[in-house]
Amino acid sequence: MRIVIGEGSCGIAAGAHKVYEAIEKLGIKPDVTGCIGMCFLEPIVDIYGENGELVRRLVRVTAGDAEKIVTAVKNGELSLLDSITISADDSAFLEKQTRIALRNCGVIDPTDIDAYISRGGYSALGKVLKMTPEQVIDEIKISGLAGRGGAGFPTWFKWNAARQSVSDTKYLICNADEGDPGAFMDRAVIESDPHNLIEGMLIGAYAIGAKEAVVYVRAEYPLAIVRLEEAIRQAEEKGYLGENILGSGFSCHMRIKAGAGAFVCGEETALIESLEGKRGMPRLKPPFPAQRGYNDEPSNINNVETFANVAWIINNGGEAFAAMGTENSKGTKVFALTGKIRRGGLVEVPMGMTIRDIIYDIGGGIRGDRECKAVQLGGPSGGCIPSDKFDTLIDYKELAATGAIMGSGGMVVMDDTTCMVGMAKFFLDFTAKESCGKCVHCRIGTKRLLEILDRITKGEGKDGDIELLEELCVAVKDGALCGLGQTAPNPVLSTIRYFRDEYEAHINEKRCPTCECADLVTYYIEAEKCKGCTLCSKKCPVSAISGDVKQPHIIDMDKCIKCGQCKSVCRFDAVFVR
Amino acid sequence: MCKCNCENSDLTLLEDVLNKYASVKGSLITILQKAQDIYGYLPVDVMYHIAAAVGTTPAEVMGVATFYTQFRLQPVGKYLIMLCQGTACHVDGSERIETAICEHLGIKDGETTQDGLFTLKNVACLGCCSLSPVMMINGETYGSLTPDKAISVLEELRKESTE
Amino acid sequence: MEMIKIKINSKECVGQKGQTILDIAKANGIEIPTLCHHESVKLYGACGICLVEGENMPKLMRACSTVASDGMVLYTDSERVKKVRAVALELLMSDHEGDCKGPCTLNCPAGTDCQGYVKQIALGNDREAVKIIKDKLPLPASIGRVCPHPCETACRRTKVEEPISIAYLKYFAADRVLADNPYIPQPEKSSGKSVAIIGGGPAGLTAAYFLALKGHAVKIYDTMPKMGGMLRYGIPEYRLPKKVLDAEIAEIASVGVEMINNVKIGADITLAQLREENCAVLVAIGAWKNTGLRCKGEELDGVMGGIEFLRHVALGEDAKIGNKVAVVGGGNTAMDACRTAVRLGAEKVYVIYRRTRDEMPAEKIEISEAMEEGVEFKFLTNPAEIIDENGKVTSVKLQVMELGEPDASGRRSPVAVEGKFETLEVDNVICAIGQKVNVAGFEEIELNRWGIISADEKYFTTSLEGVFAVGDATNKGASIAIDAIGEANKAASVIDGYLNGMDTPYVAPVLSKREPEDSYFEQFEKAERIKMPVRPAEERKHDFKEINLGFEEEKARAEAARCLECGCHDYADCKLIRYADRYRVDTCKLAGEKHQCFTEKRLEVIERDQGKCILCNLCVRACREDAKQGILGLVGRGFGTVIRPEFNKPETIHVCADCHKCVDVCPTGALKLLK
Repeated sequence: MRIVIGEGSCGIAAGAHKVYEAIEKLGIKPDVTGCIGMCFLEPIVDIYGENGELVRRLVRVTAGDAEKIVTAVKNGELSLLDSITISADDSAFLEKQTRIALRNCGVIDPTDIDAYISRGGYSALGKVLKMTPEQVIDEIKISGLAGRGGAGFPTWFKWNAARQSVSDTKYLICNADEGDPGAFMDRAVIESDPHNLIEGMLIGAYAIGAKEAVVYVRAEYPLAIVRLEEAIRQAEEKGYLGENILGSGFSCHMRIKAGAGAFVCGEETALIESLEGKRGMPRLKPPFPAQRGYNDEPSNINNVETFANVAWIINNGGEAFAAMGTENSKGTKVFALTGKIRRGGLVEVPMGMTIRDIIYDIGGGIRGDRECKAVQLGGPSGGCIPSDKFDTLIDYKELAATGAIMGSGGMVVMDDTTCMVGMAKFFLDFTAKESCGKCVHCRIGTKRLLEILDRITKGEGKDGDIELLEELCVAVKDGALCGLGQTAPNPVLSTIRYFRDEYEAHINEKRCPTCECADLVTYYIEAEKCKGCTLCSKKCPVSAISGDVKQPHIIDMDKCIKCGQCKSVCRFDAVFVR
Repeated sequence: MCKCNCENSDLTLLEDVLNKYASVKGSLITILQKAQDIYGYLPVDVMYHIAAAVGTTPAEVMGVATFYTQFRLQPVGKYLIMLCQGTACHVDGSERIETAICEHLGIKDGETTQDGLFTLKNVACLGCCSLSPVMMINGETYGSLTPDKAISVLEELRKESTE
Repeated sequence: MEMIKIKINSKECVGQKGQTILDIAKANGIEIPTLCHHESVKLYGACGICLVEGENMPKLMRACSTVASDGMVLYTDSERVKKVRAVALELLMSDHEGDCKGPCTLNCPAGTDCQGYVKQIALGNDREAVKIIKDKLPLPASIGRVCPHPCETACRRTKVEEPISIAYLKYFAADRVLADNPYIPQPEKSSGKSVAIIGGGPAGLTAAYFLALKGHAVKIYDTMPKMGGMLRYGIPEYRLPKKVLDAEIAEIASVGVEMINNVKIGADITLAQLREENCAVLVAIGAWKNTGLRCKGEELDGVMGGIEFLRHVALGEDAKIGNKVAVVGGGNTAMDACRTAVRLGAEKVYVIYRRTRDEMPAEKIEISEAMEEGVEFKFLTNPAEIIDENGKVTSVKLQVMELGEPDASGRRSPVAVEGKFETLEVDNVICAIGQKVNVAGFEEIELNRWGIISADEKYFTTSLEGVFAVGDATNKGASIAIDAIGEANKAASVIDGYLNGMDTPYVAPVLSKREPEDSYFEQFEKAERIKMPVRPAEERKHDFKEINLGFEEEKARAEAARCLECGCHDYADCKLIRYADRYRVDTCKLAGEKHQCFTEKRLEVIERDQGKCILCNLCVRACREDAKQGILGLVGRGFGTVIRPEFNKPETIHVCADCHKCVDVCPTGALKLLK
């Protein structure tokens, strides 16, 4: 039997490596794999049988479980592990998924190229090198693959444009600057299956005629960079990368460029500026990168998930990919399901699934059985979809019609305790901070949107503020230079569209319906419920709570900073907010 | 040469980096990243030196160094607390964690404690959304934080550093 | 060269293949505004002002960078384009802080470019100064002497020590030019249109001057023997010598204004007749009636109005005053009346004022000069009854007052001290407590509830078609001359538009304003304000000769050089403010946090004003691409981005003096060449 530990960033953060060390200490060297996507259960330890089949999946494992695991494995008494084995209910998380981009994630050892090859890896590359670039582009066209970074532009079209541009030097660039807060699909792919990305990129490079490929990775993903570096080294060693690949005469070199912390570099022209060592400020389009991009040469840029689909398409045929999904959205899409969801993690589903299915069937519904209010898609560029629209299909057009976007895959679930004005403010705070500062509409526009939202959440909203927000939003969308600015107003417009009543409550009644806006709420202790345990008074950081032992306590409103500590520590539910 | 006499960094430490990258077009960000690894931050004289080495203007280097959040123009504390500001962390109350840390250490985002031990920095999503709210200190991730938990982590570290 | 055809705002335009929309538009005489584009540097695309809309194109296009293609149909002025431009400008203005105009100009009711002419005076260009003044008011020598100068009230030099002596500098320059080589502009060629102006006071004269310069035939009708209105009949000779006024009126006549005196409307000629004969009529009849005292005895022999008294004296008539004169009121008319009474030989002259000296609306200098001339001020008193003997005034009974709570205007209201009175023996009581409009002859025109002509504030129109009205006779009633002059100037341009069949209301220009921190003023060395030399009180109180002696040249130039030059040096050329005005943006609509305002001379020869920078990045690009220096750079990102010289260290920079390409391309006044 083989013990395999999921060591993605999430798993490690949850303590996977401590488990690894504990098991290793007991004499069994476990294998390592990437992220299976069930983040809510990390750290996860899989036990495989002699025939390579998964026999047990252990969840929320701690280093203290190591001895039990080692004993069980050594003695073949897996029933010892029942208490930490995944429940049937949680197993449902994977059952409704269709995994293409994530097919190897959490299954193979990402640090071992042979593990990838043994699952059919690099066979698509071999196949492609016997095709013409035009045939490759045609296959991608048949598949209907569209950019998974957010905009959903047909991949073949971009490849073809770069192919058509005449130049000795062309570049293929992978956008791994995954910056949407709440999205981590790309990181999982690189950390868990780096060769899948390399192979997809090589196929793209061959198709457009690029001899140089660059992966622009977020600085915040150190593990992904390490794994990818190692994978590139191994691929070079095996002759999949470098000069005269597999004897085909096609050469391509690949390198990594680490970003330095700027969300806007996810915009392709800003990314190019950054690659060139400059401030990541977007360029005017046209010229498009396919005409004049990195180093002023034709360049093609796709994101990680897009490339992660390519090898599968070549191996299984564009038709097979196109068989999944809806009329205008083909294949699968990966989402990072987070927020107030019971089972959060990475989810890959065929296009055409409903949001409801993802949230309830895969995600298991809302944490704490609260009311689901909305789901936020597309992060700071996207919008929210209220619960009465959960039958909307995962489809570029359908989602856009709701005011949200497919986006790169961040899916944040919100329950009835989330203030939607606060949510819009959160995203504007993000875009305002991440605005590069070049164009007026974004630089000052997002700042002003944020200020207006801020005053609304502080109870200083004025009559006409909603209309002012709307007016400003429309102008920023129209006037901003790049995608960041053009989409920055979406979270505001979409929350106004579906939750106008919450805005009105803040402005007209100076009331936050969810009691989330600190300036609009007061904390108080209900005397009948308070047992006088003094815990809240001890925890209060500003000593605003007084009262004798076993006597009801009182909060001094003048001192209270509304941090909510008292409410969270009270064991008798005696602290209320209104 | 330092033109401002405000710092006196050992520029020889940069030699290897510059030998490798200075002549490679578009390597400014990489060089700055390596320089920061060496010096812990980007001293002004180092930036002047880099500008001269790669053949660009100090204004350009300053422009790049102040554009990206990764670069620091001031030394940071022994422990760099990177507090995740991602959506999931926000929804799960990262603001309360920030308030608690700020209250506890007496610093604001971007500041360093007087003893030079802690620097607090709000950062974009760290990608550990299912463990939200999350902070990362010197490469170690701490998830599912509560204000109490965050403070006890800091106190642990403080103890460690004095031992 | 391949040519293409595109349509911009329905106009067929021809251009070369590969040209941008902006270039083709420009070549075809269509202006597309832009703030961040300049031929000398590469495209940037930041400002979003040049956006245009294309038919069947979902997104707006940046005209500066979008290459036109054959058959494009574009709109540069669609509602969507106007909106997105206006918002861009509103956003820019929300983070742009500079004084487009100095506080002096802003506080001048006529909008006179005080900073402009003071500067010319400092430089020794008096004629240039007068030219600037006459752009707003045609009576600089007269107004310079008598104006209560709201400009000086607003002058920021006060925060260093004392305001610039703006009004007297005007008087200084105007006198010199008048004596030397009068500045009389050339009127435009005749329009064939005629305007009748009723009233030859400052308002009527001003409107006449500007309308005549526009080529219209202008006639002024006035009921008095000579032109000048209150300047002649309300202001005593010792303040404004009538030969100065005569000379300036002659200048106005010389641009083609016909002046007809001794005409009483309603008696000699009717308003209807004037309307019949002219394309437009302007009513500028002033406020020539005294407000009564409303106390017992006000109808007695020996009681008269201030205006009436001054008019008698100006006309050379016997003012019929005795030895003891009491003047009631605290304004400038009261001061004129009491000092005139002194000059007529009254032995005892009192001023009765119900508040204290601090609350007096009269000019401070007038009060102190009156005191020097022996006038006795009875503060905190109010006439309760005028007492007579056989119908002739013998004394006035004064109610003693005290100051109570501040009223709406912020002045503390006087309250009677019950039962406390005193009595002054007097022969005359002159009341100068207010003026009313005499509307006889103008009964057809609608009046407001105070019996004053009601005129539109933007169009200056009355209830009668083609009849306009300005000055003391309208709306809020009597005010200072410069107020009437300001209205007259604005009305002249509205009337000019009306005569040309256009609808051109007066609209205040869109401006940016700034209030510097007190610390800003610490950098200036103190320099004493010049004092107007005057004749000694003992000498001047016996005659009507002008009491001011005028500035010596050297001192005047030095005084002018004290100006802090608050207004932006680049106002005339500022593209931002020009566009903001064109799109009528509301500068406060999107108000929020601003960049910190400060000026820096880090580049030694170039002064940079952070508050005015709009981050178009032109200076950075010009320095890098055109000048090949790369001294300037962007620092930070997002809203906090600023433009800085390298590492904030100026020592290394010496090349700027010869180059200053950054200053040349700056679309606002953020950069200024110091030498």
